[in-house]
Amino acid sequence: MLIYREPLPEDCPPETAEEIVGPWIVYRRVWNDPPIDDDFRSQRAENPSKKFNVSECRARGVSVFVEREDLETLLKRPNFGGGQIVQVALDNGAGAIEHTSRHTSHHTWWPLAAYDILARCQVT
Amino acid sequence: MNINLTDILVYYDGVQVFEGRDADGGHYIGVGIGPGISTNRYMVTGAIPERLRQFRVGQLDLRSLLLEAPEGQWFITVDKEGGDAPLFLEPQPVPVAECDCLPGPNFTLDDDPIDDLALREARGRGNIVFEFRVQPPEAAAAPRVRADTLAGLLQRLQTLLKCAGESVAREMPPSQRPADAAALCLMDVAVPAAPGSFRVLLEAAAPLDTFGPRLLFRSLERVDALFAAAEDPEQAVELLKPYPPSLTAAYGKLLRFLDEQQTSLWYAWAEPTCRDASYSGVSAATAGRLSQELESAAVKTPA
Repeated sequence: MLIYREPLPEDCPPETAEEIVGPWIVYRRVWNDPPIDDDFRSQRAENPSKKFNVSECRARGVSVFVEREDLETLLKRPNFGGGQIVQVALDNGAGAIEHTSRHTSHHTWWPLAAYDILARCQVT
Repeated sequence: MNINLTDILVYYDGVQVFEGRDADGGHYIGVGIGPGISTNRYMVTGAIPERLRQFRVGQLDLRSLLLEAPEGQWFITVDKEGGDAPLFLEPQPVPVAECDCLPGPNFTLDDDPIDDLALREARGRGNIVFEFRVQPPEAAAAPRVRADTLAGLLQRLQTLLKCAGESVAREMPPSQRPADAAALCLMDVAVPAAPGSFRVLLEAAAPLDTFGPRLLFRSLERVDALFAAAEDPEQAVELLKPYPPSLTAAYGKLLRFLDEQQTSLWYAWAEPTCRDASYSGVSAATAGRLSQELESAAVKTPA
């Protein structure tokens, strides 16, 4: 049985998500240098009682972009805050991932508990 | 005044940019104004549907769209409840141009990239699947497309595939050359309007265990090569030179049609054993430029 970093609802990750078996490079904005585990918490972990505009499954995933430029564009949003962009190498055992945007390379990633994210992070 | 969130355009650990509608059908654009990523505070302005469409397809940046707010009016809303709860718009006293929470310039979206639906469908159907998506001006207010546009596009796409198939067949040794290459590249409309924006799925008409899909596969690869050169008109003209004039004509007609209808065309195709789908397409602007280049090249070198 697969054990994810955060408890997930039934049928999550969805059938449409892809199990990560080959190499992927994704980008995420983190607050700490070097990054820490808390930089990879889901929205649900950050806001345990909040009602979201997306499914509970998606709220329990981690947002990443496949294209670094998409994250850089988002930094143009007002008050998006500081932090830095890290590149994360995903490979077999990283969990499941799904493209969850029609307009950007945004993916939702459901990491497995045993996957050592921090060892695969690189500030870029 | 209240609006409802109707579409999430940018998401990253929460909704960053969204579209909304009021009870009268008016359109709005909202952008998170922080602080932090997981914001529930947004600036909102009214938006003309056509300009919203241009933002969605990467032709207009977010800042410009917000600055076009009717009468410079803008609002703040706080999404306290999440879910489907209406968002209350609080009017702001200063014009939008003086708002200090506008996003930076060049915040643009991709032109509606296609996801991997084609690959999923190809595997599910055990067949070659070609998915395309159009976003003509009439799609600004709702997912719709004029019947003429759809029919014209389908007909031109099918002609292009048939001509590409014939050009591939001509390069085969005579003993292997199919007599009915064009017919082998026929596709059927399998899903006329998949969820999302206006997207259509086609699948190979010929059974997979015949020669047809193999020829269709190669003609799709040829079409990919044409679209891959679309941003470089000179290269595109060179690429077409060795092929029969019918292929150039079919490609030119499709491009001209896209230009006339002011719609981009993005597509993905896959066969069941592919690891990844192939993606390509052109924006309306690129189609217009390339169409003119092909026409002028045809004038310079009459057949």
